[in-house]
Amino acid sequence: MDFEFIRVQTEPPIAVVTLDRPKVLNALSPALVDEVTVALGQLDQDDSIRAVVLTGGPKVFAAGADIGDMAERGPIEQLRRDQTGRWAKVTGFTKPLIAAVNGYALGGGCEMALMCDLIIAGDSARFGQPEINLGIIAGAGGTQRWTRTAGKYIAMEVNLTGQPITAWRAYQLGMVNRVVPAEVTIDVAKQVARQIATRAPIAARLAKESVNQALETPLSEGLAVERKNFYFLFATEDQKEGMKAFLEKRPAEFKGR
Amino acid sequence: MSVLDVTLESGVQWIRLNRPESMNAVNGELRAALVAAVRDAERNPEVRVVVVTGTGKAFCSGADVREFASREGAVDAIRGEYERILTGLRNLPKPVIASLNGVAAGIGASIAMACDLRFATPDAALVEAFVKIGLTPDGGATWFLPRFIGTAKAFEIMYTGDPLPAAEAERLGLYNRVVPAESLEETVRDLAQALARGPAMALAAAKRSVNFSANSTFDEALDFEFMLQGVQMQGQDFKEGVTAFLERRKPEFKGE
Repeated sequence: MDFEFIRVQTEPPIAVVTLDRPKVLNALSPALVDEVTVALGQLDQDDSIRAVVLTGGPKVFAAGADIGDMAERGPIEQLRRDQTGRWAKVTGFTKPLIAAVNGYALGGGCEMALMCDLIIAGDSARFGQPEINLGIIAGAGGTQRWTRTAGKYIAMEVNLTGQPITAWRAYQLGMVNRVVPAEVTIDVAKQVARQIATRAPIAARLAKESVNQALETPLSEGLAVERKNFYFLFATEDQKEGMKAFLEKRPAEFKGR
Repeated sequence: MSVLDVTLESGVQWIRLNRPESMNAVNGELRAALVAAVRDAERNPEVRVVVVTGTGKAFCSGADVREFASREGAVDAIRGEYERILTGLRNLPKPVIASLNGVAAGIGASIAMACDLRFATPDAALVEAFVKIGLTPDGGATWFLPRFIGTAKAFEIMYTGDPLPAAEAERLGLYNRVVPAESLEETVRDLAQALARGPAMALAAAKRSVNFSANSTFDEALDFEFMLQGVQMQGQDFKEGVTAFLERRKPEFKGE
């Protein structure tokens, strides 16, 4: 499929999905979000791809949803076209997804970054939920994921004041894995993706699933999920290869089987 | 005559506080002009280096006390402007030199400390006299001073309000160099013009790394500077620098 609002570069074993509406600071129109979910759906099916970087390019990640598109809409219309619900497909992506964030990640842009599994931030990055300035609130996870990652008080601050926080503060809050010079954010994210891509793909998938379960379940259930996934991996060829290679002191070659 | 005299000369933006009748005290007009000058210095690619200095006997005697006394209500606006000036100078991706032609007090001291380098005349004492009017220092002085001269000296000048003489400021490493008044401008001009011919990206990156280190651990700083160096290695200035070194000639940097 040809995309209008995003670019997809596959460099097996990784791929880079770039939001590409720079003139409107990558405003997240429903059409753009659909393209992201379609692209991720294709990459999820592509066995040559083991990790994906999601970025907005060198200047801006995404400065929110498309306000012009929303200004005159009513609630029923918003519900019917499922404006924020359609984003959920991003979280259904089963492979490691790394956000490379430069400049503003605001509103929906911030929520999209928070749906990723790791966040590499350029020193220019700013994260925020400014919806309250428009008389609404975050609608694609902004009140929930901030709370689960940075805690209630930070979540309240960003959602109630609408003021963004710096890359450095996000790093101190544990929301960001690394702060790097903005010129190399995407390169660093690709390096991390390539490193992850050398690991066993099924194990990566189940590690992601297990970590995400920690946010959904009581500890005992989460531990049960982890244990089952752990036992399950002993059914894979990659587990045999991984342990054999370790004992033979050579690098493992994982096949995703 | 404007309260701020801004001129561009051989890649060097001279920003000259110009209210000599009040020892360059910072009032609303001067604050607004400084905000604009710092912003313009950042945006104008022809500006490679910035020098901040003053006209007359003083560099800057601090906030204008007449305005200061009645500043209630305007505090937020003033704070916003101070922040844009001070953070602006610190984040400006170009070398910024304070040329201290005389005393630097209060916000004047903070402006001097927000610069990367400080050259001064023998009379250019640094003063934090807030205590004498029953206030604590502002403009980041409580952040700058312990880092630049250590807590003992920082407390001494903040508690007593006594001037820190230029010679001592030089000895403590707060000033780069004290030079005779008549040669200050020439000294600063020579250095500024040399820096303006330097590898601009590398200079900006050094400044970014130093700023980054204010928040980071050693390992994070090591990582950050290494990555910035990687970016520069793809630039023209690095190629020219290495080539010139091997050819035993002076490099001609283009800032790319």
